[in-house]
Amino acid sequence: MSEWPPTEVGGDTRASSTISEDAPWALPMVSAIPAAQPSPSWSRRDFIKGIIASGVTVSGLSYFGSGCSGALPAQTVGGVERLLSLSVNGQLRRVDVLPAETLAMTLRYKLGLTGTKLGCDRAECGACTVLIDGVTHYSCSTLTHRVRDREITTIEGLEGPNGELHPVQQAFVDELSPQCGFCTPGQVMSAVALLRRNPNPTREEAREALAGNLCRCGAYHNYLNGVMRAAQSLGAREA
Amino acid sequence: MMKDMMAGFELFQPADVETALELLDRHGAASWRLAGGYDSLDWLKNRSKQTRAVVDLERIAELRGIRESGGGVEIGALTTLTEIETSQLIRERYGLLADAARKVASPQIRNAGSIGGNLCQDTRCWYYRYGVKCYRAGGNTCYAAAPEAMNREHAIFEASRCVAVTPSDCAPAVVALDAEMVVRSRAGERVIRAADFFMPPSIDIRRMTVLEPEELLVAVRLPAAWAGASFYFEKVADRNVWDFPLVNVAAAFRMDGATVADARIVCGAVQCTPRRMAAAERLVVGRPRTEQVAESAGAASAAGAEPLAFNAYKVSLVENLVRRAVRGAQTSEPA
Amino acid sequence: MAELLGKDFTPPDIVGKVTGRAKYAEDFRRDGMVFCRLLTSPMPHARVRNVDARAALAMPGVVGILLPEDVPEQEGVANNILTYEPHFVGEPILAIAAVDETTAHNAIAAVRLDIEPLEFCVDPLESLRPGGPNARAGGNALIPQEGLQEVKWTEEDFAAAGEGQLPMGRPGEEWSYGDLDAGFAASTLVLDESFVTASTSHHSMEPRTAMAYWEGGKCYLHASCQSQSNALPGAARLIGIAPEDLVFIAEYCGGGFGSKGGAYPLMAIPAHMSRKVGRPVLMRVSRAEEYVLGSARPGFQGRIRLGFRPDGRIAACDLSIIQENGPNSGFGDLGAAASAVSLVYTPQAMRYRGISVLTNTPPRGAQRGPGQNQIHCAVEPLIDKAARQLGLDPVAIRRINAPTHESLYGGNQSHITSAYLREALEMGAERFGWQERRARSGQRSGSKVRAVGVGQAFHSAGSSGFDGLVRIAPDGKLHIHTGVGNLGTYSYASTSRVAAEVLRYDWANCEIHRGDSSRGLPWNNGQFGSNTSYTMSRTNYAAAMDALQKLKAIAARELGGNANDYDVRDEAVFSRANPSRRLTYAQAARTAIQLGGRYSGMETPQDINPMTRRAVESIAGTGLIGVARDNLPQDGMVPALAAGFIEIELDVETGLYEILDYLGVADCGLVMHPTSLATQVRGGAVMGFGMAAAERHVYDPRWGLPGAVGLHQAKPPSYLDVPSEMDWAAVDQAEPNNPVGVKGIGEPLMGCAAAALLCALSDALGGHYFNRTPIVADMIVNAANGRPQAHRQLQVNTQ
Repeated sequence: MSEWPPTEVGGDTRASSTISEDAPWALPMVSAIPAAQPSPSWSRRDFIKGIIASGVTVSGLSYFGSGCSGALPAQTVGGVERLLSLSVNGQLRRVDVLPAETLAMTLRYKLGLTGTKLGCDRAECGACTVLIDGVTHYSCSTLTHRVRDREITTIEGLEGPNGELHPVQQAFVDELSPQCGFCTPGQVMSAVALLRRNPNPTREEAREALAGNLCRCGAYHNYLNGVMRAAQSLGAREA
Repeated sequence: MMKDMMAGFELFQPADVETALELLDRHGAASWRLAGGYDSLDWLKNRSKQTRAVVDLERIAELRGIRESGGGVEIGALTTLTEIETSQLIRERYGLLADAARKVASPQIRNAGSIGGNLCQDTRCWYYRYGVKCYRAGGNTCYAAAPEAMNREHAIFEASRCVAVTPSDCAPAVVALDAEMVVRSRAGERVIRAADFFMPPSIDIRRMTVLEPEELLVAVRLPAAWAGASFYFEKVADRNVWDFPLVNVAAAFRMDGATVADARIVCGAVQCTPRRMAAAERLVVGRPRTEQVAESAGAASAAGAEPLAFNAYKVSLVENLVRRAVRGAQTSEPA
Repeated sequence: MAELLGKDFTPPDIVGKVTGRAKYAEDFRRDGMVFCRLLTSPMPHARVRNVDARAALAMPGVVGILLPEDVPEQEGVANNILTYEPHFVGEPILAIAAVDETTAHNAIAAVRLDIEPLEFCVDPLESLRPGGPNARAGGNALIPQEGLQEVKWTEEDFAAAGEGQLPMGRPGEEWSYGDLDAGFAASTLVLDESFVTASTSHHSMEPRTAMAYWEGGKCYLHASCQSQSNALPGAARLIGIAPEDLVFIAEYCGGGFGSKGGAYPLMAIPAHMSRKVGRPVLMRVSRAEEYVLGSARPGFQGRIRLGFRPDGRIAACDLSIIQENGPNSGFGDLGAAASAVSLVYTPQAMRYRGISVLTNTPPRGAQRGPGQNQIHCAVEPLIDKAARQLGLDPVAIRRINAPTHESLYGGNQSHITSAYLREALEMGAERFGWQERRARSGQRSGSKVRAVGVGQAFHSAGSSGFDGLVRIAPDGKLHIHTGVGNLGTYSYASTSRVAAEVLRYDWANCEIHRGDSSRGLPWNNGQFGSNTSYTMSRTNYAAAMDALQKLKAIAARELGGNANDYDVRDEAVFSRANPSRRLTYAQAARTAIQLGGRYSGMETPQDINPMTRRAVESIAGTGLIGVARDNLPQDGMVPALAAGFIEIELDVETGLYEILDYLGVADCGLVMHPTSLATQVRGGAVMGFGMAAAERHVYDPRWGLPGAVGLHQAKPPSYLDVPSEMDWAAVDQAEPNNPVGVKGIGEPLMGCAAAALLCALSDALGGHYFNRTPIVADMIVNAANGRPQAHRQLQVNTQ
């Protein structure tokens, strides 16, 4: 324990009864302590202004439907839900949305569209990929308020009126593209966007278009087979 | 451990710059400028930074678009990286920036990520992102510079207490193009040369650019002087998608026949700001781009480097990339 | 002649995956459901002295808190569910449930901990030094049969190792066979290298979210789990209930790679919380949390001494491994690694010494090829080094040391069932054009240099003794009940087709029941360890054979003669002598119901597992039941073997490389499902490339902080880091101990690709041996530019 506590960094040595203020691992927690509930042991900390102001937040109504009938959290500054009309898969959906709410959360927890997956919530995997006005976006990193007058397409919006699979979906089945399947909806969305933009891509173009979708099973080859097959069948259908 | 749920904030979605500036002015340091959102939401989900008022710039049409201006080109700060990458105008005249934009992160990130956001993004020092209270976070130490620290991705030049680096791929490109950054506040407009836009830790350790809280980057102007020059961009990163550069290089050469008339060679991810490779530029100007000149420019590039325990390889990378830039300068492939 | 096996088919769960209708644990909703989040340790080792959650619990919307005293404490060094003495950054201390996630997070942030940091360690070698830190109060090493012990080596032990070499004091485990000294004496070339193989995270796309609720005295648990029946007893134990009181639902699993092979403590938290607050509870796990709670492959600090005869034959091997165990029970990679060496390189004499040392980093667990893949990464480039010095071709030196069916395995020198690694090498070399490509190796184009590599890997690939269950319904359809799990390889389906094959069914008339323990699922092995193809084809064979015998017996009963007089075809049982005397399967099933007893599952075999018995009871009387324990003979360990061939172009100025081509060759017995095997070959390769040359497991040594808690920090390969097309092949030789000739393959397909890439990187640098996995760009730049590497020799968890 000779190195503990870390006296050489920072000023005063901490009292042993609280978290060291200098040890780095103390901080992620500390910075999230709401200033609305100050306590003597934390009051010395120089919060940045923004943190102080944000205070205890809030969330609004329960995440889905009327099922969650428990006590609702109070609404304080910065957390008021607003009723939005979202155009999702060709339907107008009215939904209460918090300012700090991402599209992935709205889709999954308020609109029941769980085909859009949350793999990382940090724009690093692509499982949450949806189309906004036909362009691929990570819904985990898009505020829902941003898309209130845009056309959103999710994996649930691709099938035909009689439930027939989209050519990309069918091609992914035929090529046994998915393995565990968790990244698949995102892969499908990227492929659909590509083929709308470029109906006749090279394999290399397909690879670049799908590059923002991670597949830990490593099924990249089979997904690309699927994209190429879908391009063929789309071409054949139009011919 | 990061939990992903952002703390609450007020969200403002102004439709014009004036309103945005008013909001920034009103909320001051408590405000947060939101462009593409990838850097911002990372911080807000981590909660190691929080805000009361998010000013979402996405709806401001005047911040978008690529237009010819005074012989050069002006790019609205909210123009996406995809738009830049695919713009015929940019590709033809300033292929360097198109190449840099194309190397950023992933297609989805480029579809929302903006040039302004890419240039203003915060550093990726993993200690700082983890939420430790380092100098940059207002504390009184740097965890990344400690003798045993894991600092493979950190600075080899110009460290000043903080050893974080600029993570941007576009930043070296705009410095190499000698771009101008158009900045507005309620007090008016100021135009800053790209090389002066980025903030070294020796002056202010808490921010990456000279932008004041009430200011907004509204446009990037690419000067006519460097249109159609001979360009070279290269990024060395661990993976070809998502990853930030270990080192990148952006170079522009104005040629007079076979001789270099003027050169701007800039490396990213080697210090907190894009680094002009001044010695290399001096060695190149007035000479042809031969292997010998490339060698000497490369060899001169890392003078003054002070590597940390895990990043001495960046010295070789800088030397090699500058050599390659001089040796193999390329123009952007046409679309 | 097989009608179904060896042919492609559309697995029934794939449409759900492409439409988004496939439900993973986070996709389930229940009325009244609340959300819980974890308060985890900010310190690598600490004692929580007090928790003040008053402010958190006073928040509107907060519905409850779960503390360590609310959950069963795990014995010994097992992973805890919640604890007041966390042993790594991110270990859960408590959980809070609220009506939404943001509120839960806000409440977590409002909890005040009185927490005291304790001694910690992130480097096993440091822990073994005299006076070195211990990761746990009770010691620093896990010794087989003894458990947690304090082991410190002496200064003399460290000094004896010599500069840069791994010391070896008192080992935790050891074995040997043959005459080691004689072997080295007979060797003309002895290589002695110390090495590090990094720990690696699993990076499963789906974080280990779980949802649970209680209804009618039972707990319903939706979990992210590779396995189904095999995980249930463990999950029930963590929740503290009898297995029959748990409904375990794991229909889809978004990647596991070993990290979700069985029950794990985290999945019990929503169940406990739900019992406490009386509402359904969903617990989402963030990506950062997944990185510390999702376990990791243990890294090795190792040393290997190899003695070669002039012809390349390995005469002696002396292997030492220090395993980074993490703070808890860990996994036995080190011993598995040693056994793999004994089989794949067949040294004539071998000694193994190892010790698993605790560190305050994530708990370790199985990851695809646990032990084998690390050791192949270390040894394969060394085989190339020997080949270079002996003037041998890399494929030739591997062929000469490759196992045969008679080769022996591990310290016990036990038998194996079949080995076609030599054939895989030959087939691969031919198909890949090894000779021509090798002739190109070393060709320079500017700063780029071409290079080739070949890699091998092994994992055991089969088990026995589990139960099969099928039902022929009165409408004639075949219902195959499979409890193996679904990690995404479709092997649950391909092995189910064995039952259809035996009964000569049209696959369209078959239905698979799986994914939910209330659907009557038998006791099966877990979907891990490359075992499903072998194990489950045997259980389904056994159950189908039981059904077949019953069909014939019923036919004999109804139509006269002996059961042996009958055969099956076109979903009917008929008399061979007079095919018009026949019963359709539908008729036979109706008769079985009338007959009752063993025919309809009213009676069950004595030797089946209680879980299978309960499954049979749930469907008894609804058709002809085929149920049996797999008592088929098995003589020896079943090896899965693989060889990978790669050509790359390395840019020595940037340290970046491009994979020009890759071929993976599998020794997996007969091929059961070609496209799925192809995907395994390629997917395993992608994962192998990540392990070899990209993925990071980083810890700050001073503070014990994890430095790779996001995908962009931990770096699993993307589309643009691997070839867009990769080739595959299979030896396609029958495994004699399996009724349909198959054995597993998943794990070595990763290891052989990792090894091949590492060999190629060495080849590109003129045979430079890195002593380290992964080899990343900065290491290549350093090596190519004559710089010393940044890490200390044998340092672990570096960036």
